[in-house]
Amino acid sequence: MSPTRQVFELARRDFVQRAKSKAFLLSMVLTVGIVFIIIPLSQLIDRDSGPTNVGLVGNLPIGSVPSIEQQANLLDIDIALTTYPDLAAAEQAITDGEIDAVLNGIDEIIFREESSLRLSAALTGGVATAQRQVVAGELGLSPEEVGELLYPVSFNERTIEPSETEEDRAREGAALVGLLLLYISILMFGQFVMMGVMEEKQTRVVEVVLSRVKPTQVLTGKVLGIGLLGLIQILALGGAILIAVTLVDIADVDLTGIGLKTLGLLILWYLLGYTFYSFMYGALGATVSRQEDMQGVAMLPVLLILPGFFLGQLALLEPGNWIAEVASFVPLWSPMVMAVRSTTSVVPLWQVMTSVLLIVLTTALLIKLGGRIYRGAILHTGSKTKLRTAWRSATD
Amino acid sequence: MLEFVDLHKRFGDVVALDGLSFDVQPGRILGFLGPNGAGKTTAMRCVFDLVRPDAGHVAWNRAPIDSSVHLRFGYMPEERGLYAKMRAGEQIAYFARLSGLHRGEAAEAAARWLAEFNLADRAASKVEELSHGNQQRVQLACALVHDPLVAVLDEPFAGLDPIGIETMADALRQLASRGMAILFSSHQLDLVADVCQDVVIIDHGRSVLQGEVMELRHSSPIRFLEVDVNGRPWTARVGETPAVDDNGRHRYVLDRNADIGALLSQAREDGEVTRFSFEPPNLTDLFREAVVR
Repeated sequence: MSPTRQVFELARRDFVQRAKSKAFLLSMVLTVGIVFIIIPLSQLIDRDSGPTNVGLVGNLPIGSVPSIEQQANLLDIDIALTTYPDLAAAEQAITDGEIDAVLNGIDEIIFREESSLRLSAALTGGVATAQRQVVAGELGLSPEEVGELLYPVSFNERTIEPSETEEDRAREGAALVGLLLLYISILMFGQFVMMGVMEEKQTRVVEVVLSRVKPTQVLTGKVLGIGLLGLIQILALGGAILIAVTLVDIADVDLTGIGLKTLGLLILWYLLGYTFYSFMYGALGATVSRQEDMQGVAMLPVLLILPGFFLGQLALLEPGNWIAEVASFVPLWSPMVMAVRSTTSVVPLWQVMTSVLLIVLTTALLIKLGGRIYRGAILHTGSKTKLRTAWRSATD
Repeated sequence: MLEFVDLHKRFGDVVALDGLSFDVQPGRILGFLGPNGAGKTTAMRCVFDLVRPDAGHVAWNRAPIDSSVHLRFGYMPEERGLYAKMRAGEQIAYFARLSGLHRGEAAEAAARWLAEFNLADRAASKVEELSHGNQQRVQLACALVHDPLVAVLDEPFAGLDPIGIETMADALRQLASRGMAILFSSHQLDLVADVCQDVVIIDHGRSVLQGEVMELRHSSPIRFLEVDVNGRPWTARVGETPAVDDNGRHRYVLDRNADIGALLSQAREDGEVTRFSFEPPNLTDLFREAVVR
C-alpha cells in the first residue's frame, strides 16, 4: 500500500462526501444559474439603446436622406429614418417612443427630452450637403467638380492621454470578476478544510484514521479532495461566465480571448492561493473541537487575506501603483494581486515566475509548520489547544 | 508477538508510562487492566505511533514497527468515532481500503463483517441512524475489516448490554482461535476473567501483575472458603471469623494447603451443607491486591 494511494483514498472521501452535500450542490446550481440569468439580462438592457430613430417631415432638399445617412455614419451614429405625413403625426410618434427626434423641414429639429449635439450635427451636415449639391447642379458644375467641391474634410484623430478603450474595460471587468472569485473560493474552500478537520476531531473518528495513516497524509488528502471540489466550482462558474459573455458580442473586443486568459490565470492562482491558505486552515482546525471555538480561530486567515483583496482592487484602479506591484510578490496576497495585474496588463515573465516561486516555497514551509501543529493538536481533546502547546507536544 | 519494551512517557508533570513491558502472543487474548489514569490508553496509542514514548519502544516479532506493519494492525480507540453521515457498509469498506485492500476485496470484507454482526440489512443506513450497540459493532468491524495480525481494542465492552457483551466476547474468542493476537483494556474485571487467557494489570504506568489468568489465580498462596449450612452462611468458625466482602459474602481467607476434608466435616456437624466453595482468588481479588491505592 503506497502512501500515495492512501492520500488518494482520503482525498476521494472528502471530495465525494462534500460534493454530495446539499449545501454544496445548492450553491453550485444557484451561482451558475445567476450567471445565466444576469448576463443575458444585461444584454437585453443594452439592446434597448439600439439605432437612433429620426422622423422626417416637410420639404427637404433632394438627396437629403442618403446624405444624412452618410453624415451619421461618419459620426458613428446608427440612424434609421422614417418619413411622416405631417408634424402632428411625427410629434405623436416621439411621444409614443417610436422615434427619438424629428427633422421638421429645414426649420427645426425636435427632440424628446434632451437635444443631442452629435445628432444635430449629422442632420444639419446631411441637409447642408444635399442643399449644396442641389445648388452646385443649378450652377452647371460637372459631377466631378461637384464631387471635388463636396469632398468631405476628414481628420485623423490623436489623443495625448488616451481614455479607456472597450477592450481595457473588458479586461478590467474580467479582472474584477476574477478577483472576487479568487477571494471567495480561497476563503470558502479553506474554511471547508478547517471544518473537515474540526469535525473529524470532534467526532473522534480521526483516531481511527490516524491508526492507519500519518497526520501529514490526512491533512494532505483533505486539502487535495476539497481543493479539487473548489477547482470544479471555479471551472463551472468561470465556464458559465465565459459562455454567457461569448453570447454577448461587443464590437471589436475579443471577449472569449480575454475570458479564457482570465480563467487560466484564475485556475493557476486559485491552486497556489488555496494550497497556501488551506494548510493554515487545516492546522487551525486541529486546535479546536467545537463549532463555537472555530469561529474565533477562523478569523486569522481572513485577516491575513483581506488586505490582498483591497490591494487587488488597487492594482485594478492604478495598474502602475508601486504598493500593488510589491504586494504581488508577497505570498499572502500575490494570488489576488498578481492575478489582477496579469489580467489587466502585460507583466514581465520574470515577475510572474518570481511571485510563483515565492509562494511555492512559503507553502512548502507552511505544510511543514501546519503538519506539525496538526499532529500536536489533533488528539488533544477538550478545550482549545494553544498553537505553542501543539507545537511543543509534536516534538515529544 | 507484540512486545511493549520498557515504555516511558511523561505529559508535563504527569507520568503516564513508567517502564511498562509485556507481550501479546498470537492466538491469545490479553486483558489489559488498571484503574483510570493508569496509562492503558497511552500504552495502546504507542502501538500506532499516536503517542511517541520518551523511551522504550513497541516491537512486532522483535523488529521495529514501520508503516507497512501498522497496516496489519487493527485499532478501536476508547473514544468511539465514525463518520456520522457515511453509510455503515461504505464506511467499513473505506477503512478497509485505507488499510490497503483493493476496492473489490474491501466491499467483500465489509459485507462479511456486517453479516457476522447481524447487520447485513443495515449496510445502507447512515451510522447516525444506528442504535448505540450497532454503532459499536460497526466500530469494531472497522478495526477488524482488514483481518489484522493484532487487534488493539480500548474498552471494547464499554456501553454494551449483556447480550452485546456476549456477542463481542464470542467474536474475540473466534478471532483468537484464527491466530489473531488480541489486546483489550477494560475495567470490568468479572468480564475480563471470562474472556481472556492472559492478563496485565498496570498502575501508575507500570505493570504490577502479569501472566496467565489461571496460573496467577492458582499460584496465589491464599484460598477463599465459602460455606452455606441450611441455606445460610456458615459463620461458626475455622479458627477465625469470616470476612464480609462488598457483596455481603462471608468468606474465610485460608492458606492454599488447608485441609478441605476436615473443613467439610466440621461444617456437616452444624447441619446440612448446601454450598461449599474453596477457590483461589478471582481477578477482582488479584486486582485489589496488586493495585494499592
